[in-house]
Amino acid sequence: MTGSIEVRGLSRTFHTTVRRPGFAGALRSLVNPERVAKHAVSDVTFDVAQGELLALLGPNGAGKSTTIKMLTGILTPTSGTARVAGVVPYEERERNARNIGAVFGQRTQLWWDLPVRESFAILRDIYEVPKAEHAARLKEFDELLELSSFWDTRVRHLSLGQRVRCDLAAALLHDPPVVFLDEPTIGMDVVVKEQVREFLRHQVAERGRTVLLTTHDMTEVERLAERVVLINHGRLVLDGALDEIRRRFGSTWQLRATLADPHTEVAGLPGVVVVRREGRQVVFGPEGPGAEALSVHQALKLVIERYELAGIAIDEADLEDVMRAAYAQAEAAL
Amino acid sequence: MNAVRIAWRVTRLNFRAQLEYRTEFLMMIAVGAIWQVSVLVFATVLLTRFTGMGGWNSSDVLLIPATRMLAHGLFVLVLGRIHALGRFIQEGVIDTYLVRPMPVHRQVQLQFFPTNAIGDLTVAAGLMVGAIARSDLDWTAGRITYLVAAVFGGMLLEAALFTVVACASLRFPAADYWGRWLEELLGTFGSYPLNVLPRAVGGLLTFGLPLAFVAYFPAAVLTGHGHDTGVPYWLAAASPLIGLLAYLAARLLWKWSLNHYTGVNG
Repeated sequence: MTGSIEVRGLSRTFHTTVRRPGFAGALRSLVNPERVAKHAVSDVTFDVAQGELLALLGPNGAGKSTTIKMLTGILTPTSGTARVAGVVPYEERERNARNIGAVFGQRTQLWWDLPVRESFAILRDIYEVPKAEHAARLKEFDELLELSSFWDTRVRHLSLGQRVRCDLAAALLHDPPVVFLDEPTIGMDVVVKEQVREFLRHQVAERGRTVLLTTHDMTEVERLAERVVLINHGRLVLDGALDEIRRRFGSTWQLRATLADPHTEVAGLPGVVVVRREGRQVVFGPEGPGAEALSVHQALKLVIERYELAGIAIDEADLEDVMRAAYAQAEAAL
Repeated sequence: MNAVRIAWRVTRLNFRAQLEYRTEFLMMIAVGAIWQVSVLVFATVLLTRFTGMGGWNSSDVLLIPATRMLAHGLFVLVLGRIHALGRFIQEGVIDTYLVRPMPVHRQVQLQFFPTNAIGDLTVAAGLMVGAIARSDLDWTAGRITYLVAAVFGGMLLEAALFTVVACASLRFPAADYWGRWLEELLGTFGSYPLNVLPRAVGGLLTFGLPLAFVAYFPAAVLTGHGHDTGVPYWLAAASPLIGLLAYLAARLLWKWSLNHYTGVNG
């Protein structure tokens, strides 16, 4: 069985009632409701190869979770098709469930009142995993996620970090070829986040699992993904390797300048744009992408000549800026 | 077989988990029993102040709340978690059920152990023993079998009604409030011979909300009032079967509704 994901023209439309403002508006909505179609996901097409970790990115409400829900069989698409490890998830939900693991960072799939180990044992029975295999996998996960110090604790008494580590283990105990992770590290401290990332790297590199990850944490994307899909307003706006996206949208440099006078009006310079400004701190970047861009030394000269500065530093642009630029371009294109 | 083993294992573990919170456990049993206080008051008043009701003697009337309560207690124990579906939807728990290779309905029932059912069933069993002891009927094997079938039929009918509400909750989570209204209605009117109510209300509780099939009709058939219920005798006698059919129909509706589930954000 291959662990690939194929998504073709996937769409999901919800019909909602328009909320009119004010009390009179609410009464009008009650008597004469206005129904509108909300296209949560529109005509999305992409593939994830076996053993690949793909980051599905986008702002809140972009359609990431709805896409994942269709690929996990929770929702049926309005149109389009999807195959996960060769199975159409919304047509064969239970068969698809055997092939996938899923972690929704905000909620647990463990039994709230039971010790974690009991939940693991129940899942072993549900997925009909042989006992020896289950024990070996649990040992492996314990080595990577340090579960044994709290796996006899009831789920309701676990911290968020402990709970999500247990959820990750629970999602992989039946050895699924495909794993869906919807913001798995949300709210975690940096130490646990790094432990989880290491675990995921191991699952992809050593076990060859296909992983589809949604996150708002760009550090996570940088550390884990080689390819990203950007989705906005339900539409796929970009699909490519992280390096390529950096080249296309990322400034190859950034100048972080501190203005001597906080009231100074700041504008772009020839070949240099203002990426953002926070009080006296101004970040400049190159105007054009790739080869067309000004060199950092030319830009430095221009900025120093034009503004009176209290300090300046040269940085490489971080991924968040790159993504911001990509979203901005996508917005403009819509 | 594996499904039964898993269900038993989860139920056992959930029960054990409840036992570990001793005060909470005992309190939930007490809540289950106290919840039925209105029925107990009704039974006491019926036996001490009245000789009968709607042409039935007090002992025969007592069989109605006893059957209904026992059916309700079994519903709470076996299929009652469907009542909490609105909460499960709001909390996104249903989404996690949908990514497991197990029927969602079964997972809903295995979510927690309903400790309050112990209180419900204790009161209901006591009331049933009392009702049978006071009854002048000859409890033949046939009558006992019919009573058992009626209790299970009542359980299934109650489950069918709450499953229909749950189906609505899958689409409109606020429909959960109808479940509370339904529970209130079953508790309020479930203990009376419905012929004491105005004809229109009796009709509504027979053909609108089929409460009459839970306990009133079976008790009427057992006590010889089966021809005075306002419906054909065969229909009243078929109450256990109607409970079963209603439940099967509700499960088909559940399956359809689950396929059209749009999630909490939908």
